[in-house]
This record gives sequence, structure tokens and C-alpha cells, in this order.
Amino acid sequence: MSAVTSSMAGERASAAGAAPHRDPAPVIRVSNVSRWFGSVVAVSDVSFDVMPGITGLLGPNGAGKTTLLRMMTGLASTSSGSVTVFGQPVRDNPPLYRRMGVMSEHETVYGFMTGREFVTMMARLRSVPDVEAATDRAIARVELADAQHRSMSTYSRGMRQRMRLAATLVHDPDILILDEPLNGADPRQRLHFKQLLLSLAAEGRTIVISSHILEEVEQLANTVLLIVNGKLAASGGFRAIRAALNQRPYHVRVLCDDPRRLAAAVVTLGSVDAVHLDPDGAIVVLSRNVLDLQVELPRLAQREAISLRRVEPLDDSLESVFGYLVEA
Amino acid sequence: MSAVFSLTLRQLSGRWRLGIMTVLAAMPVIIATLMVSDSSAPSVREFETAVLGAMLAGSIAPLVVLAIAAAAFGNELEDRTLANLTLTPIPRWRIALPKLLATITIAAPFVALSAGLTAHIAFLGDATATIAVAVSAIAGVAMYAALFVWLGLVSTQAIGIGLLYIVLWEGFISGFVSGARLLSIRYYAIALMHALDPRRFASSVQPGSVAAVAMSVVVIGGFFLLCVRRLHRMDVP
Repeated sequence: MSAVTSSMAGERASAAGAAPHRDPAPVIRVSNVSRWFGSVVAVSDVSFDVMPGITGLLGPNGAGKTTLLRMMTGLASTSSGSVTVFGQPVRDNPPLYRRMGVMSEHETVYGFMTGREFVTMMARLRSVPDVEAATDRAIARVELADAQHRSMSTYSRGMRQRMRLAATLVHDPDILILDEPLNGADPRQRLHFKQLLLSLAAEGRTIVISSHILEEVEQLANTVLLIVNGKLAASGGFRAIRAALNQRPYHVRVLCDDPRRLAAAVVTLGSVDAVHLDPDGAIVVLSRNVLDLQVELPRLAQREAISLRRVEPLDDSLESVFGYLVEA
Repeated sequence: MSAVFSLTLRQLSGRWRLGIMTVLAAMPVIIATLMVSDSSAPSVREFETAVLGAMLAGSIAPLVVLAIAAAAFGNELEDRTLANLTLTPIPRWRIALPKLLATITIAAPFVALSAGLTAHIAFLGDATATIAVAVSAIAGVAMYAALFVWLGLVSTQAIGIGLLYIVLWEGFISGFVSGARLLSIRYYAIALMHALDPRRFASSVQPGSVAAVAMSVVVIGGFFLLCVRRLHRMDVP
């Protein structure tokens, strides 16, 4: 196993840029993976490679992210296709977990243990050489040294998440797979979590995080995998995904004191593609450039002396955004 | 392995479980005391059939073990904590073995003490008989533990299925159908008891002592291997 460890160290160094690769092998390779439960298809023919850095698995609730992550960690089998980590099948391959740290969506802690006992136990299970020192380092990293001797049943959800992250990090893994890690964290904890993940990635680790919150992934991930209805809807840099989102037509509903006059005026704006009047007196504006519309619409209303009562996006939910990308 | 063993000991040492086990373990001791103090004391044969066979080996021991063993993996599955163990580089047998050993460690003292005290009272301090009863009880605990630990891993209804098994198979069918005794943990334990003290106990029961020892090994080893196989193949929640 020492050979594996030294190889691991080398790969992490090269990922951080110490040794250039012409065509680096992917750390995780997902090939034509599908998973179905009876007649329900949870994941459908998904393929992608994961390289060092932070990869965000983004998608609405129920999109298949957790099922996909479970297959990527070997917790669940694939119905078809394969998942390899460092070129080896991840399923039923315990030695690979020396190099992987996995944090599931569920709060998998033992309420009767203190935080330190939990992290120590995980270190022992992974045969960490100096258990106490590794435990100290991992707990310090998540800034929970003060609470380490308290029972985990007394922790807030955010604290439990951080202590679980400490347990995930205690054996210094090359790969971290984290399912909705920011769930339940307050804003301060979120900020700390993000800084921690960024620093871990800067050390050359490969990190996969899942989230249904666009902004969360935007702030962390270099690469985004967009999962919708069990399919890979889009992948690539966040800017490319964001551009695709920005180019989609948005529906904006406007309530004002003179809808007919506003409808006639607003159609002349460059940011507006179409306008129609609702029976309830509201106008619905279709725009592919909603950022410009946000600026132009109030100016137009002021110029025309029309009083705007309410301006609201009709389809600003993630689901509609994801749905658009899938249709595209 | 010691980490999984100590974790399982803590998981299974809940107050209510230990309370149930204490009550169950006390029952044969109380009955033995009452029987001995009665003027019309039963014969060794009657005592063996009613208290040692039907009550201890067929009911108390499996019930005590079921209360512990079904939770060894059952709690992990219910709380979704099994992934903490399976997402580590340790071989799967090193997860299953400490779970089984922890179950036996908790259940065996209760059952062995109960069986030993019962025999000590009933046989008026006969050390050989006491040891034979206690040792065969421990063997019974180990066999039931292997069966019920596996059951807790494969079914969320382990307690219900285990109770049905104890009542129907160990309690009813194996008591009336002599051929079924060849596949009964209760009768393996009784056969071991006979082998350990043939002077006191009758020796013409099925299965024979050699078959009982062999089957004990098969039961413990077989269900342990099934546990390991399940850990390799299952989708961990």
C-alpha cells in the first residue's frame, strides 16, 4: 500500500502544477453510467471525467445528483456503465478509500460520541499512522477544537457538518466527494466551509461537491456538471454555463397603472423580444437580456410617467433554468 | 478491527436492551429455584426438556441474542451510518467479524450466567453439569448471533422475522418433527450439552455430538460468510 501512497503524493503534486502533463489521466471517469430502480430511471447514460480542482455537481432536487455521487463513491452499483477512480473500478474496492474521503448528504454521526471520538475512530478505521496528531490537525482545520469534547448530539447541524468534514479529511485523502456539504450551515459557517474547500483544492486535491444552489457552486467550482432529470444537461466552466443561462429568454411580469401604454412603449426597448397583455391587466415581457431590461424598464416608466407597482420574474426558479438547458 | 468492535459494544449497550436481557435471563433461574423447592421435584429428564431445552435453548437464548444481534447492523442501516464503515479501506470481513464478536460479548454473559445458575440450582451444585450447560449455552449464543447478525444486515424486519423463526422453527416444528432437529440451533446446543456431560444427560438424542459440533461450525462460519458477501454486494444507504 505504500506504493499507492507515494503514487498518490506524486499525482497530487502534479495536479498542483509541479509537473506538467500533456494529457493527464482523469482522476474519476464516469462512463455511460445509468441507474434505474424498477421502472424509474434515476441516472441515464451519463459520462464525464473529473480532474483535480473543484467540480460542482449542480442540479435541482431529485435530479439524480445523490444517486450519481453514490455510484462515484462505490456505495451503490451502476445498472450499466462504469466508474473508475485512478483507473480502478471504485465498486467493491476498499483499498481505494485510503485515497478518498466521502461525506454523504445524511448526518451519519453517532450521537453518543464526542466529536473527537468520531474523528479518532475514522482515523483508526483508515489506519492513519499517528491517530492523535491527525485528529488534532483535522479538527483544527474545521475550527472545532473548542467543541471537540462535547457529545455530537449537542452540536448544531452546521457543527456536525464541519466535524464530519474533519472525519472525512483525517486521512489526508486525494479525492473529496461531498454531497450537499453546505446544507444546514449558517452564513459564517458557509464562508468558512468555502474557504476551507478552496484551500484544499489549492493543495492539489480533487473535490466534487453537489449542490442545488447555483451561486454556491459558482463561488467554488472550476468545472460544473449540470444534472437534470438524471441526464448530464451541460458541463464545462461556470462562465459557459452562466452564458447559456443568460441567453435564455426570461418572462418578466409587470404591474403598472397604464399597462397598454407601457406595453406599446416597452416593445421598443432593445432588451425586449416580445410583450403580451395578461387578462388581469399585467404585461408579460419576454427578454433575452434581463440585465439590460432591469436598467431600461424603470427609465422608460419614468419617461412615460407610468407608475410601476410590481416587477417580478416568472421563471427564475432553478428548475425552469435547468429545464431550458435540457430542451436546448 | 478494535474500532468497529468498541463502536458496536457502545451501540448495543443501550439501557433498555440490557434491561430486557436481564429480565429474560432471570426467568429460568427463578423457575429452577421454584422447581427445586417444590416437594414434587421433576426428574433430570423433565427438567432438561422443559427448562434447559425448551426455555433456555429454544426461547431465552435466541430472544436475548435477537435483541442484540439484529441491531448490530440494523442500527447502522437505520441511521445510515454503515457508510462510515464501508467507506474505509478495511476488508469487509473486518467489519463483519467485530460486529459478530461484540454481539456475542454482550449476549453470552447473560445467557451463560443464566444457564449456569439454573443448572447449579437444579443439579444441586454439580460443577460438571453446570459447566456443560453454560458452555453449550455460549455455543448456542454464538450460533444464534451469526444467524441474527446476518438477518439484521439483509432485512429491515429482522426482529419480526427472527421472532417468527424462534416461535415456529425452534419452538414448534423442531420440537415435534424429529428430522427438523438436524437443522435446529436449539438441538445443536442440547447435543453439545450432552457431549460435555454424558453422565448426567441422556445421549440418545438427535443430532449426535460430532454432528452438532460440525453443524455449529457450519452455522457460525456460514452466516458469517454470508454477512461478508452481503457487505461486498449491497448498496449501502
